[in-house]
Amino acid sequence: MGERTRQVLPSVLSVLLALAVCWLTIALTRDADTATRAYLQMLWGGVGNWPAFLDGGSSTAVLRPLGEAAMKAALLTLTGLSVAVAFKVGLFNIGAQGQMIWGALAAALVGAHVSLPGVLHVPLALLAAAVAGAAWASIAGVLKLKRGVHEVISTIMLNWVAVSLVDNWLVIGPLRAVAEGASSITGTAEILPTAQLPRLLGDSSRLNLGFPLALAAALGVWVWLSRTRSGYETRAVGLTPEAARAAGVPTLWRAGGAMALAGALAGLAGAVLVLGTEGRYPGSLGAPYGFDGIAIALIGNNHPLGAALAAAVFGVLRAGGTRMQLLGVHKSFPELIQGFALLFVAGRMVWLALLDRRQKRAQAQGQSQAPQAGVEVPRA
Amino acid sequence: MLEVLHSLLFSTLDAAPALVFAALGAMLSERAGVVSVGVEGMMRTGAFCAAVAALVMPTPLAVLVGMGAGAGIAAVHGFLSIRWRSDQVVSGMALNLVAMAGGTFLLESLYGPNGTPAITQLSRWNLPGLSHVPLLGALSGHAAPTYLALTLPFLFHLLLSRTPLGLRLRAVGDKPHAVATLGLSVPALRWGAVLGGGLMAGLGGAVLSTAVLDRFEQHTPAGLGFMALAAMVFGRWTPLGAFAAALFFAFGNALRIGLASSAPWLLDLVPQGFLLALPYLLTLLVLALQGQRGHAPAALGTPYEQESR
Repeated sequence: MGERTRQVLPSVLSVLLALAVCWLTIALTRDADTATRAYLQMLWGGVGNWPAFLDGGSSTAVLRPLGEAAMKAALLTLTGLSVAVAFKVGLFNIGAQGQMIWGALAAALVGAHVSLPGVLHVPLALLAAAVAGAAWASIAGVLKLKRGVHEVISTIMLNWVAVSLVDNWLVIGPLRAVAEGASSITGTAEILPTAQLPRLLGDSSRLNLGFPLALAAALGVWVWLSRTRSGYETRAVGLTPEAARAAGVPTLWRAGGAMALAGALAGLAGAVLVLGTEGRYPGSLGAPYGFDGIAIALIGNNHPLGAALAAAVFGVLRAGGTRMQLLGVHKSFPELIQGFALLFVAGRMVWLALLDRRQKRAQAQGQSQAPQAGVEVPRA
Repeated sequence: MLEVLHSLLFSTLDAAPALVFAALGAMLSERAGVVSVGVEGMMRTGAFCAAVAALVMPTPLAVLVGMGAGAGIAAVHGFLSIRWRSDQVVSGMALNLVAMAGGTFLLESLYGPNGTPAITQLSRWNLPGLSHVPLLGALSGHAAPTYLALTLPFLFHLLLSRTPLGLRLRAVGDKPHAVATLGLSVPALRWGAVLGGGLMAGLGGAVLSTAVLDRFEQHTPAGLGFMALAAMVFGRWTPLGAFAAALFFAFGNALRIGLASSAPWLLDLVPQGFLLALPYLLTLLVLALQGQRGHAPAALGTPYEQESR
C-alpha cells in the first residue's frame, strides 16, 4: 500500500463508515425505508435533484442546492485551512471562531461604510477581514512565542473575548444599524451592493465568488507549504522545532507567520459569510464554524487539499441535511456524521492495522515460507 | 456593600464545582500524558445522562450515573489513544462533536427542544451556626458538590505529591519509559488516569444539570469544558492551581451577573459585553505578565510505544 493511500484511505473509509452508522441509527429509530429516503433527500439537497432535472425540471432544482453546498463548503474550507495551517507548525488553533468573528465584523464595516467601485470594494473588504483575523490570531501567537502562554488557553480566551465584545457590545451597541421605520434590525448596517461577492449563476443559486476564493486559498496554502522555502521551513518547525532551529530556520518567525496566516484564513471565512450571504454582521455568527474547522482539518489529514475535499463533502451533507427534516429526521445528523467521521479518523491506527493484517495475510498466502531478513519482533 | 460581596461569594461557590471537577479531571488525564480536549463532551454526556437518570431515580444516584457516562466517553478516548495510540487531540475533538450532535439528537427526539422535564435538584445544606455569620455565611446553603469541590483539590494535591501512586502518575506523564523500566504498566496507569478524569468530568457535567439547573438543556455545558481546560493550563497542571483558576473564572462570572443586577448604574459606564469579556481579558493579562513555560507534562500527547526511546 502506497504512502499516499495510507494517508487518504482512513479518512475516506471513516466518512463512509460514519454515513453507514448514521443510516443505521435512523433505520433503527424509524425504519430502513425512511433512512434511505432521508439520505436521498440529503444528497439531492446537496448536489442537486438530478433526476427531477433530467425529467425536464427547471435548472434551479440543481443549481440552488449546489449553491448552498458550495457556500457551506467555502466556509468549512477556510476555517479548516486555518486550523490545518496552525497544526502544520505544531499549534492547535481553537480560536478560528474568534478570528472569524473579527473578520466578519471588519468585512461588514468596510462593506457598509466605504464607498468604492466593486472591483476595489470586494478586495478591500476581504483584505480588511484577513488583516483583522490575522491580528486577532497574532495576539495568541505573540503570547505563545514571547511569554510561553499555551495557545489552547489563549485562543479559547480570545474566542470568549471576541464573542463578548462583538456580539454583546459592538453589534448591539455602537455599531448597531440605525433602524429604519418601525422595524429594528439586529446587527450592523447592510453592506453596499458594490461589496457583495458576485453571484456566479445569477439569481437561480446563491453560489458566489466565495467558493472559488476558498478553493484558491486551499491551492495557495498547498503550494506555499509544499513548494516554497518558507513553507518547507514552517513544516520543519512543526515536525521538530529543535532540529529546525539548529538548521538555521527562524522558528519564531515561522510559527508566528503560520498563526497569522491561520487567523487571516479564518477572517476570510468571516468575510465570505458576510459579503456572500448575510449582507451584514448578524446578531451573532450563528454556528460554531471555527470548531467545524477543527473537524474538517483533521478529517482532511491536515493537508490543505484534503481539508478542501473534506469541506466539499461536508458542505454537501450540511446543505442537504436540512432537507432531511422534510421526512421528520432530525437536522443534527450532518453534524453527527461529521463527529463520527472524525472519531473514526481518530481510529486510523485501527484501520491501518486491519488493512496491514489483510495485506500480510494475502502476502503470506502468495509466498508461504519466504526467509525473513533481520530480527523482527513478531506482532500479535 | 457587604451584602453584594456576600451574594458574589455565594454565586461563585454555586457555579464553581462544575468547573473545579472538570478541571481536576482534565488535569488527572493530562498529568498521565493523555491530552484531554474531550472534557467538554464528557461533561455534556454526564450532564445529559444524570438528568435523564434523575427522572427515574433519586438525584444523588443519578449523579453517579452521570459520572459513569463521563467515564464511558473517556473509555472511548482511552481505547483510541492508549490502546491504538491515536492522535489524542483528534480523538478528544471527535468525542466533543459526537457528544454535541448526538446529545442534541437524543434530547430532541426524547424530550423536545426545550430540554428534559424538570427533576428534583440536589438538596441544599444549611450549615447551622454559619448561616448568620457575615461573609462566611456564603458557605452555607449549597448542594453537596460545592463542599466536595472545596475539599477534593486538596485530596488530589496530596494524592499527586505524597503517594507512590501519585508519583507514578506524574512519572507516566513525564517519562513513561522510566516507569516501564520499573516494571510498571504504562497503559494501566494511563487508563486509570483517563477513566478517573472521565468520572470527574462526568461529575462536573452532572452538577450542572442537577444542582445548578434542574434539567438538561440544549446548551449545557456551553463551553465550560473548554473553560475547565483553560483553568487547568492556567493552574499549571496542578490540582490547587486548577482549583484557584476555576474559582477565579467562576468569580468573574458571578461578578458580571452580580454587578449587572446590584449596580445597574455601572452598565451605563461600562458596556455589558465588556464586563462579559473581563474575566477572559484578566486571564490573558495575568498569563502575559507571568509568562508560562514548561509546565505541561513532558510526554503529554505522545502515545507510548514500548520500542521507541
